[in-house]
Parts: sequence; C-alpha cells; structure tokens
Amino acid sequence: MTALAIPPWGNYSIALAASVECLRVTPWSTRSTTPEIMKLGAEASPEFSCLAFKATTGYFIKAAMEGVEYGVMVNSVGTCRLRYYRELQQKILKDRGLNLFIFGLGYDGIKPPLIRHFDPTMGDFLRCSARAFFKVHAVDAIEKLAWETRARELHTGDTTRLMNTCLKDLDDARTVPAIRAVSRAVPARFQTVPTDAAASPLRIGLLGEASILRDSYLNHNLEETLGSLGVEVRNFFLLGNEMAKIFNIGLWSPESRGALTRLARPYLKSRVGGHALESVAYTLRCAREQYDGVIHVSPTGCMPEISIRPILRKISQDHSIPILELSFDEHSSHVGVVTRLEAFTDILRERRKQASS
Amino acid sequence: MTTHAYLGIDVGSISTNLVLIDSASTVLFTAYRRVDGNPIHSVQKALLEMREAVPGTLEIAGVGTTGSARTLIGAVVGADIVKNEISAHARAALHLHPEAQTIFEIGGQDSKVTILRNGVVVDFAMNLVCAAGTGSFLDSQAKRLSLSIEELGERALLSNDPTTIAGRCTVFAESDMIHKQQTGHQQHDIVMGLCQAMVRNFLSNVCAGKEIRPPIVLQGGVSANRGIRRAFNEALRTEVIIPQHNMVMGAYGAALLAARANPARTRFRGYSLCDREIATRSFRCNDCPNQCEVIEIMDHDDSLGRSGGRCRKWEQGVQAGGSQ
Repeated sequence: MTALAIPPWGNYSIALAASVECLRVTPWSTRSTTPEIMKLGAEASPEFSCLAFKATTGYFIKAAMEGVEYGVMVNSVGTCRLRYYRELQQKILKDRGLNLFIFGLGYDGIKPPLIRHFDPTMGDFLRCSARAFFKVHAVDAIEKLAWETRARELHTGDTTRLMNTCLKDLDDARTVPAIRAVSRAVPARFQTVPTDAAASPLRIGLLGEASILRDSYLNHNLEETLGSLGVEVRNFFLLGNEMAKIFNIGLWSPESRGALTRLARPYLKSRVGGHALESVAYTLRCAREQYDGVIHVSPTGCMPEISIRPILRKISQDHSIPILELSFDEHSSHVGVVTRLEAFTDILRERRKQASS
Repeated sequence: MTTHAYLGIDVGSISTNLVLIDSASTVLFTAYRRVDGNPIHSVQKALLEMREAVPGTLEIAGVGTTGSARTLIGAVVGADIVKNEISAHARAALHLHPEAQTIFEIGGQDSKVTILRNGVVVDFAMNLVCAAGTGSFLDSQAKRLSLSIEELGERALLSNDPTTIAGRCTVFAESDMIHKQQTGHQQHDIVMGLCQAMVRNFLSNVCAGKEIRPPIVLQGGVSANRGIRRAFNEALRTEVIIPQHNMVMGAYGAALLAARANPARTRFRGYSLCDREIATRSFRCNDCPNQCEVIEIMDHDDSLGRSGGRCRKWEQGVQAGGSQ
C-alpha cells in the first residue's frame, strides 16, 4: 500500500494517522522527532530557518529514504514563513534526488489537493474524520489528566507510563465506539496512580509556537520535566480548540478567535501571525486565573513569537506574573534548559512563600 | 569532640570547586581546580585535598552539589541536596551581601544575571548560544598572547587609552584584536579593549531588558580578572562588589543550602569514595520516541544512580533539583 508521511505533532500524531486511513494509505507517523531526523533536517536546511522547519524537513528526508512516496505539510495557515515551507521542502527533496511528493494542507478550493488526489468515497471520508475528531478529543483528555496527575504522583514516572499505555490503546482503537470506550475509561485509569492528595503544586502555563509546544523532542520534554519538579502545567495548544478555531465552530466559546482577540486587545491589535495573538491572550488569561508563572517557548528566530516578547514583558510587569522565555534550536543544551526550569520554579516557590507570609 | 560541617561541590564546565563550612556558615576550606575532562576524578582529587587539609574531628553532616554536573556528582558523592547553579549562587551572594539587587556571574562557559529584590530572586537570564562573554574566551585569548590569565588582568589595568574591540562574536573579536595588534596598538590597550568588549556584550545580550540596580555583586571565575572588574565599574559607573569567596560562590551556596536543609542523616558516602573506581555506563531507554541515552553510575557492581534522560524517571538515587 502507498505510504504517507505525517510530520510528528506530539500525541496528536495518533489522530492524524487515523484521519488518513480513508485515503487507503499507510500513515508513516511518529509522536516526536528523533535525534536522527533532527540531524538530517539540520544538514539539509538553511541555518536560520526555524527548528520546526528543520525537524519537518528531516522527517520528509528520512521518509523518502525509507521509500515513502507522499507526505503532507501545513502550508497556508498563519502569516509566518510556514506558508512557504512546503514549497521549500519539496525543492530540498528534489535537489537531493529524493522522490516524495508533499501535499499542502491549505485552502485552495473546496477539496484540498490531498483529497482530490486520493479521492476517497464520502462514506470513508466521514468515517475517518469522525475517528480523527474523537481521537483528538481523547488525546486532549489524556493530556489534561496527565498534567494534573504528574505534579502530584508519588513515584516519578507512573503518570507517563500510564499515559503511554492509554495512548497505545487509543492508537489501536479502530472504530468510533472503541475510541469512545477508551476515552471513557481514561479518568478511572488515572485514578489508580498513587498521588499526594494534599499537594498544592505550582501552576505554570505553557504557550508559544505550536510545534515546539507539542513535540517533546524539540522542547526537551518540558511537560514531564516540569511535572517531576512538582509543577502542574497547562499547555495552551490543544488541537481540539484549534480545530474549532480553524473551522469557526463555537463562536461563543472562550477559546474562539473572537474571544482571544478581545482578550488581547489592550496589548495587541494585530494578529501578527503564527500563534502570537494566542500567546498574548493566554498570558493575560494566566495572569487573570492566578497562575504562578508562564513559560513562553519559541524556535530561535521565530518572527511572530519574538515580535510579541516586549508585550509579554509588559504584561509580566503590569500583572506581576513571572514569564520565562525559552528559545529552542538544534544546538539547545539540555542541561541549560533544565537549569532554567529549576531556577524558575525556585523563584515561583519563593514568591508563593512570600505571598503567604 | 566532633564538629559538624557542610560541604558544597560545584562542578562546572571548567572548574571543580569545593567549600566546607561549619554550622555557623564560616568557611573552613575551599578548593578550586580544573575539571580537565573528568568531573568524577576531579571531585575525588579535590576531596582528597580536603581530607589532608581539615582536622579529622570534622564530621560532614550534609552535602550539596551544583553546577552542570550536579546530578552526576550528586550520585557519586551521595548529596543531600542537588541545586541548580542560579539558586546556589544567589544563596551565597545574599548570605554575604543581603542588600544586593543584582548578581553578575561569569563562569567558564556560562554567564548569568540574577535580579534580586528584597533579598529574593525575582528574575534571571543566561547566555544562550554564545560564549563571547565568558571565561573560556578570555582563556584562549590570554594563551594566544602568551599571558597567564592573571597577567592578562594586570596588563589591562595599565591601559590609559583602551582600543575598541568588536565584541559581538568571539571569532570576530579575535580577528579584530589581531588587526589592532598588527597596526601597532599597545598590548595593554588591546587587552583592556577586550575586557570592555566582553562587558559590553554581557550587558547588551545577557542583561537585555533587565533592570540593573546597584548594589551589584560580581562572582564566578571571571570575577578574579581585574581588567573585567575595571570594565564593569566604568561601564556601570558604580563600584561592583567582589564577594569574599568570589571564585567558589556556587559551591559556597550549595554548602549553605545543605546546612539549611540540615539532614538528619547525611547521604554522604565518605572519603572512601575517593579511592574507588567509579565509572559510568549507558543504555538507551525505549519507552518513548525520544530514545534517551541514560547514564548509569557504577561503583564496581553497585549502581549509584542514573541520569541523562529527558524525563526524570531514571534518576534514581539522585534527588530532584527543585525539591527542598
């Protein structure tokens, strides 16, 4: 069967893989970038392109080397350089003599090129879309429980192990009823993790560029590292919310683009591009909901996220909420990231102590 | 009679530092030695040095480790507390200078600024991917000029008219220095220009967006350099404070934190660890796509602990850095 490479996007890769089955292709997908892929991508990419570009380029190169014929890449959402990534990656592959055609996932007509090419039946398409939809929401549910549980677990690693089993079960579920059964069982399964019920962990909001937020290789396993430092994180990139935003479902929801635009308006009146508007809005929400701190992540040289850094600094002063800026590229040192996280959590703990005394 | 003492160990990229304090926080012993590529051996040698120097009646009641090798060394020596260097340095600076509002810490490959208000850390920043403002660069330039690092500092003080050196990047700074030397600038002016360039780079990159208020404490290996001190004083128009144990503040902070934690029974494995063959071995964890190389520290056949994973599940026998 024909194979289709889907760049890693954290645990959502499970849902993305399910969504393409209707095209009668084998998904070639993984949950996070690997050191080998990163190396291939960094070699093939212009030095000042962003980490997301390098990681996805490496992914397509690796896929082409393994004989995968097709790939998909987001190409027209947002107003950062991401718009041209598909074209550039296609050229890089061609220059290297690799035959892998990358479909763009943009709005160019009613049917995206990918659908035009494989032309699934309406029934198959709807079935797979439904599966993908429920899988995305199941992943979101698992993520949220993992953030809460990990900060309170008594034995380091329990939550992650359970999370991986849940995700495996979700990956194996092939029908909508099976997917919903996995979803329903998840809360009870997380109850089995021994936790410290009295703990009141620090709460930190994670926001910024989506691929860094979601790829645990690119972000040096931010969520788990913070969780094991006793921090309850909230990763503000949830694909369930994002889908609603793209298709403009739920205009009344607090996650809708309109609501976020209104929230950010005192500080930002433009969309900037990428997820910059979201970063500003969610930082304000963290301040309002009295989070202990915010971590803003971006690839080194990310135009939208760097543009709003001064705004985040202003919000930090106005609302007295500490913000840690983390930039990632392929040279980022793991020890450096961990040191910053530890020092940041030390500051937040000290602040709490001061506030309560 | 036995006296209780607390040991702090700071193993960074360039140096291994030891500080031993008593329960009144008085410094009893300090060591500063090069890592020379082997952090475990350097700690073993430094501990032997300490055993020779301090009376045998001292009983080590707590150990803290810090620096980039804090987890590894924490497992090797049996640390009661493993702390990141930002918090450790701040602890020591605040102990000696409670009024401090800013800490500049410039080490071998790291430079950091820590902002303090009312005796509490409120913000910090570290150099990202550039080492132009750190000790390694000064070291290599001193070598190129056939000066010792101490001479480089002294030489800089002789300059009345420092020449301007491009300090944005180590490589360009070096070519600029060579250019100035070939056009006949005097060595002391070039050296002082280098110190100014480093300070300028530190203030504009690492300190970007931070409110730098005096009193400022300057510490870390580079703070011993008198040229750098002069450049800071001139650039900031204020006298930076060089604390008493400026070279070993990280280790001092770790010792203070160990004393504050005051463990009922220390996990310190004793001086005997210096005579043992401690080695590391590694394996790959396949639990997630990250496929981390996990390092296991072995004392003959006994596992002392593991580190190196991107998550912390393998870090057994090693205390998590954030908890106190």
